[in-house]
Amino acid sequence: MSQSPARTVDVRGPRFAAWVTSAVLAVVLLTASGWLAAVQAAVFAVGAAAGLRSAPYAVLFRTLVAPRLGPAREREPEAPVRFAQFVGLVFAGVGVAGYLLGVPVLGAVATGLALVAALLNAATGFCLGCELYLTVRRVRPVRTA
Amino acid sequence: MPIGTVGLVRGMSGTGLAVLAVALVLTAAASWWLRTRDGRLRTAQEEEGVGGPTAVLEGLGVRPADADLTVVQFSTAFCGPCRTTRARLQHLQATRPGLAYVHVDAESHLEAVRELDVRRTPTLFYLDREGRLLGRSSGAPRPEELTAVVDAHTGARS
Repeated sequence: MSQSPARTVDVRGPRFAAWVTSAVLAVVLLTASGWLAAVQAAVFAVGAAAGLRSAPYAVLFRTLVAPRLGPAREREPEAPVRFAQFVGLVFAGVGVAGYLLGVPVLGAVATGLALVAALLNAATGFCLGCELYLTVRRVRPVRTA
Repeated sequence: MPIGTVGLVRGMSGTGLAVLAVALVLTAAASWWLRTRDGRLRTAQEEEGVGGPTAVLEGLGVRPADADLTVVQFSTAFCGPCRTTRARLQHLQATRPGLAYVHVDAESHLEAVRELDVRRTPTLFYLDREGRLLGRSSGAPRPEELTAVVDAHTGARS
């Protein structure tokens, strides 16, 4: 957890990115392409590691979409979105492994789960990755200060 | 007929097509569930009305006796709706004298999170002045619903 004032992003950016991600993942499912899945995994990795400022779909949104939409009316903290990119990376990573290591069913199921999360986020703004955070923290052993 | 469809769309992955269809149905179902149920206040069960949850919350420094209604919110850092809900409750607190609002960082109180079975954030607990648990809700509450609950337990009397 960072103590510095939270960096924020235009709420429309992550929604746009979620639509693009959904489209890419749908194509991955239809073509069973491990390499396209790898591209999407790389996109997630950049977003999670370097932040949304450098995330490919966010750059696309800033340069091509946002100028046509006008100024941002609402902003949201970056941290949850970034964490969700990490969760996306985990699922996409399993998908890539499944497709490229000759277990296409695993690839398809992992990609399908990532698609549900991305599509749900695109359509409703709900962040499944963020919701998983506490669930994961809960199962870890307690460490009291 | 999945087999027929696969036959028509040649070159496409049959498994992929099936998974895509399932994913779309799952997403639609989840959206429906979120739209109708997310953030709803669930009234406390009889057995958990007194004792358990209140004792745990009091252990976190919550003092229900100080206000007509005490709302305790569990949040995490990676939770967008938590901030919206927090701002809404802080605003309500400023305008409703009978309301007390306590914010808890779930991560620093994992013991309580387990005891209270908090699975998602934001999770809200509603306590009356006697320390009875009125109910709880998971997910961001709808603004008008939240205001109605708060007003039902505070506004009228102050």
